[in-house]
Amino acid sequence: MAEPRVLIVGAGLAGLAAAVGLARAGFASLVVDQARAPGGAIHRQPLPGVAAHGLPAQRRRWQNLRAEVTAEGDRIEILCNHRFAGIDADGVALLTGERSRFIRPAAVILATGATERVVPVPGWTLPGVTTVGAIQTQLKTTGEPPAGRVLLAGSGPLLCAAAAELAAAGNPPVAIVEAGRPFRHAADALALPAGYLAEASAHLARLLLARVPIRCGMHLSRIDRHGDTLVARAEGGGRHLDFAVDRIGLHDGIRPNGYGAAGTTVPVALAGDAREALGARAALEDGRRAGAALAARLAGRPVPPDMSPALERERAAQQRLRRIHAHDLGARLVAIGDDTVLCRCENRTAGDLRALGGDPTDRELRLRGRFAMGRCQGRFCGEWVRRLQGDDPADAPLGAVRLPVRPLPLADLIDAGEPDEEN
Amino acid sequence: MSGAILWNGAPVAFRAGESVASALARAGIRALGDLPTGQEAAVFCGIGQCQGCLVSLDGRLVEACLTPCRDGLRVASAGAGNG
Ligand code: FES
Repeated sequence: MAEPRVLIVGAGLAGLAAAVGLARAGFASLVVDQARAPGGAIHRQPLPGVAAHGLPAQRRRWQNLRAEVTAEGDRIEILCNHRFAGIDADGVALLTGERSRFIRPAAVILATGATERVVPVPGWTLPGVTTVGAIQTQLKTTGEPPAGRVLLAGSGPLLCAAAAELAAAGNPPVAIVEAGRPFRHAADALALPAGYLAEASAHLARLLLARVPIRCGMHLSRIDRHGDTLVARAEGGGRHLDFAVDRIGLHDGIRPNGYGAAGTTVPVALAGDAREALGARAALEDGRRAGAALAARLAGRPVPPDMSPALERERAAQQRLRRIHAHDLGARLVAIGDDTVLCRCENRTAGDLRALGGDPTDRELRLRGRFAMGRCQGRFCGEWVRRLQGDDPADAPLGAVRLPVRPLPLADLIDAGEPDEEN
Repeated sequence: MSGAILWNGAPVAFRAGESVASALARAGIRALGDLPTGQEAAVFCGIGQCQGCLVSLDGRLVEACLTPCRDGLRVASAGAGNG
């Protein structure tokens, strides 16, 4: 029977950097990922025969990390097409996928990346309306942009990045609808670290060339379906524009996707965007930090601090980006119509939330309101429910951690056998 | 293209390694069926977090965005009852 290894969930930048950090300190790890190849959201690997994507510096960053992983030999095992279903109070973790199994890890690092924030708007549940990330995933994997007219809307630097990628792939979006007014913040923008500026100007140059209009200070107020066409209305500054399109990508930033990190006997740590959503540059740095910190903890040595100057710099850059893209989200949320679906899983609306009265407890929100009780466990509604209640979304998440951390076919549990059959 | 899955019985071509969601999107199929809550099943997050793209595979509900295609794989709308 092998020594218990550290289980790392997520083979993106943070997960693999953590594995390297652990291996260098003498600890073996098993890295699982739900995708068919390592890479995570940023370095998602193309299908065989599809050209690699991304800027050269980004590709180099990934290749260097892969080389570091290879250099550690069998101290790092990567298992793709497998998913982490959670870890119970006794320290037994369930993996499902090609071969479901129970394992007893020495510790767990969740490097599960980010979830996209999407501000609810009537019609956002219609087929053809996805996150911007879903469009990027398809593009990075197949090299093919979605067919037909595409509209991107929301807020943040990812909109321009994704639009530039679509343009490069031959199907620029018909427009970008950006709630903020980023071009009015030149001083803040120029104070961003050089890497951010270089990326942003590469993207903007492409968008200019492809003549993609960027409608700043506007947001979508509704999406309707007419036959096969989606019609999105953008409003702002006292005017409105209608867009008839085939696909709509929505994106309002990212938040940590650190689900499943509670109540077990072995150490559980978060790394990368799953700990704090600071983006790709920070994910690599934070993965190294998390690996080294966990190694110290397992060896009984003093644990290094959980921030570093490099991470502080990324945090400051992200704050600056938020200032550049600032807009009146609070006012929009208060005015959200009663018919707007907040909880996509259980079809619960802003009206259903208001019907719960003045100041419902979390328990009432969940048991009477059914918010954060659906299949996604509140990933997509929790923040909006909190904010509509006037609470700070940074408060404890509305959805308590439930095992398994995602819905699971019973057959997967049966396939996994008994927890103490060693595997 | 390296084969075809069967979507509600009809062949849909796929490229080696791609997900069911990806093959269906190329074929212009966006609505994936009806969920018990009254919503339509459809891809939203594309990475297994929203559970909006559930389809039926031999009677198991799975995420279309995470399920790799195989030649002859039978996939059906979640509400179709013919998985
Ligand atoms: S699209 Fe969200 S789980 Fe598949």
